[in-house]
Amino acid sequence: MDSLIKNSETINRLLARYGVKFGIYKNGEFKEQLFPFDSIPRIIKSDEFAYLERGLRQRVDALNCFLADIYGKKHIVKDMVIPEEFIFSAKGFLAPCDGVCPPKNIYSHISGIDLVQSKDDSWYILEDNLRVPSGASYPMIARELQRRGAPDVFSNNHVVDNRNYADLLKEVMDNVNTGGINVILSPGRYNAAFFEHSYLAEKTGAVLTTGKDIVCENDNLYYIDYNGKKQRIGAVYRRISDEYLDPMTFYEQSVIGIPHIFEAYRKGNVALLNAPGNGVADDKGIYYFVPKMIRYYLGEDAILMNAPTYLPFYDEDMEYVLDNFDNLVIKDVAEAGGYGVVFGNSLTQEKKAEFIELLKAQPRRFIAQEVIDFYDLDILDENGQRVPRKADLRAFVLTGSTTKVWPSGLTRFSRNPDSFIVNSSQGGGFKDTWVLSR
Amino acid sequence: MFLPQNTQRQKVTALDVDVEGCEKFSQTYDSFGNKKLYGRIIQPHSHFSVKIKGTVQTGVDIFEEYTDYPLSAVMFKTQTQLTGLGDKLDEYHKSLMLDKLDGDYEKALRIMRSLPDVFAYDKGVTEIHETAENAFSLGRGVCQDYAHIMISLLRAEHIPARYIVGMMTGEGASHAWVEALCKGYWYGFDPTNNRLVDDGYIRVSCGRDSGDCSVIRGSFYGCAKQSQSETVTVEEIKQTED
Repeated sequence: MDSLIKNSETINRLLARYGVKFGIYKNGEFKEQLFPFDSIPRIIKSDEFAYLERGLRQRVDALNCFLADIYGKKHIVKDMVIPEEFIFSAKGFLAPCDGVCPPKNIYSHISGIDLVQSKDDSWYILEDNLRVPSGASYPMIARELQRRGAPDVFSNNHVVDNRNYADLLKEVMDNVNTGGINVILSPGRYNAAFFEHSYLAEKTGAVLTTGKDIVCENDNLYYIDYNGKKQRIGAVYRRISDEYLDPMTFYEQSVIGIPHIFEAYRKGNVALLNAPGNGVADDKGIYYFVPKMIRYYLGEDAILMNAPTYLPFYDEDMEYVLDNFDNLVIKDVAEAGGYGVVFGNSLTQEKKAEFIELLKAQPRRFIAQEVIDFYDLDILDENGQRVPRKADLRAFVLTGSTTKVWPSGLTRFSRNPDSFIVNSSQGGGFKDTWVLSR
Repeated sequence: MFLPQNTQRQKVTALDVDVEGCEKFSQTYDSFGNKKLYGRIIQPHSHFSVKIKGTVQTGVDIFEEYTDYPLSAVMFKTQTQLTGLGDKLDEYHKSLMLDKLDGDYEKALRIMRSLPDVFAYDKGVTEIHETAENAFSLGRGVCQDYAHIMISLLRAEHIPARYIVGMMTGEGASHAWVEALCKGYWYGFDPTNNRLVDDGYIRVSCGRDSGDCSVIRGSFYGCAKQSQSETVTVEEIKQTED
C-alpha cells in the first residue's frame, strides 16, 4: 500500500497528461478540470461484494422489466402499483418510445448504480443511472497506471483483476448487435466525458465517432470513414442524451444527433445502448418504487435497501416531511449531478418557510430522504495526512446475455469535509475500488 | 411528414405524394399511430417541395371508438409542458364550475362554448409552440392556441384529450382541433370555430400537443437563410354514386 501512496503524485500527473479531465458547464462557461485521484483504495471484501452483486443484478433486472412494461403493456400502472402521475408526467417518459421494442428487449445495458455505506456497515442505494452513466474509465486508467508503478501490490493483496470492463462492454454490444460494427457515438471533444468516450472505444475496438460520420439510409445506419467507405452499424453505444439523438423525433434543433436514427431503431435495424426513454426509470420519484418493482416483476424481496425515502405526493409522507424537515434531505426529482439537493437543517427560517411553500405547491417535484450517516473513507490531504471524507460508490452493472457486475467501481469522495455531495461535477475526487478475491 | 389515413371517421380513397428531388422515401407509424413519410436528399438544393393530392371520404362516423392501442388514454390525461395550467388558466378553470355538470361530454362542450368570451382569434400574437397559459394570458391567438387551452382545461378535469392536426373546407392552411374521450368515444371539438367536428374535417395526425404532430419537420446542413410556406386547398366533391 505504501508503494501506492508514494506514487500518488506521479499518477495524478500522468492522469493529467492522458487528459483525464472533466468538463463542466457553469453559468454558461465551459471549464475543464482535473478529476483528482486519491491513492488509498476503497476495499470491499469478497463476501460483501457477492452480496452487492446479488442485489445489484436483481435491481437492474427489475428495472429492465419495468422499462419493457412501461413502453409496452403498462401492467404495473394498470395494477396500480405505481400511480400514473409518476410515469406519464415524468420528463424521462418519452412518448415516441411507446410500443418500440429494442433488440432482445434490453433497455438498460450499462447501468450505474450509486450506493453508500453507513456507519453500521449497511449499504444503501442512492440512485440509479440508466441513461448514460459515466465514470468507468477513471478507475480503469487509474488501475492501469498504478500497476505500472507497483504491479505486485494487487496480487499480494488478492485484488480481483478489473481489467475485464472492456470485455464486458464489448459482450454487451455484441449481444444486441443487429449485424454490423459497434460504434461509440460522442457529441465531440467538448463533452464532459470525452476522455471516457475515446478510452472505451480504444479498449473495446468500437469505432469512436460523432453524428457527422453516420447516415441513415433505407432504415439502416452506416458509418462513413475518412476514405468514404461505408460500413453498416449494428450497435451504437451512444453518449448523447435522448433529446439530442434524433432531430426528426426529439429536439428539432439538435446538431449533434443523426436524422432518422430513431426510425432505424424502431424497425429493429440497429441497437441503441442504452435505449432511449430510460429516464422514466431513474427518476428520483420512481426510485421510491423500485423495491415494489422488484416484488412485482421478480416476486422477490429487494436485497439492497433504498435510503428511507418519503414522497410528499402522499399525504402521510407530506406530514412526516413537514414534522421532520430539519432531519431530512430534500431532492428535486428533475435535477441531477448533485444539483437541486437541500438539507433541511441548512436553511434559514425564512428560506425554510419559502421552501415549504414550494413543496406544498409542487409535491410531485420532490422526494425527501433520511440523511444517512456515511461511513467515511480516509483520503490524503495536501500535507499527506489521512483525513476522513464522505464517499459513495458507483457500481457498473452490465446487461448482455446475462446481467453482470463489474468487480470494481467508481468511488467518489467529497473534498470538502462538511459536504455530503460527492459528484465529480461538484469538484470531488476519486479512488480505486478493490474487490478482494478472498 | 404526416399523411391522412383511414379512421372510423374518414376513408382515404386516393393519395398521391410527390416529393421534389427525392425518389425514395420510407414510411413508418409513430407511437400515436400517425402515418409518417421520411427521407433525405443528398444533392445540394436551394429549394424543396412536397405536393400531396388525394380524396378523402368523410362523414363515415361522427365519433371514434376508443381502443387501447397503441397508447393508453392515460397518456392523454397528463398535462404536457405546453398544456400545463398556470395561475390564469387555473383561475379560469375554477370560474367555469364544471363540477356542476354531469357528463364529460357536457363539460367539454361548456369549455368550448365559453372560450369565445375570453379568447379571440388573432394571427401574429402568439409564437409557434406557445404554452396554453401564455396564450390565454394574451387573450388572443390562433387555432393551435385554442386547441392547447381547451386541452389544458379538459385535462384539468381528468378528461383525456388529444391534439389533432388536419384540414377543413374553407381554410387556406392546416388546422388544429381537439378530441376528448367521453364515455368510451373520441369526440371532435373545434374551439377556434366553436363548433363540433363534422364531415368538413380531414384528420392528418394526433398527439398530446402540437409538438407531437407538426405536419412537416426537417433539417438541412449548410449555411442559408430559410423560409417555409404551406398551402392547403380542400374542395368538396359531392358523392355521385348510390
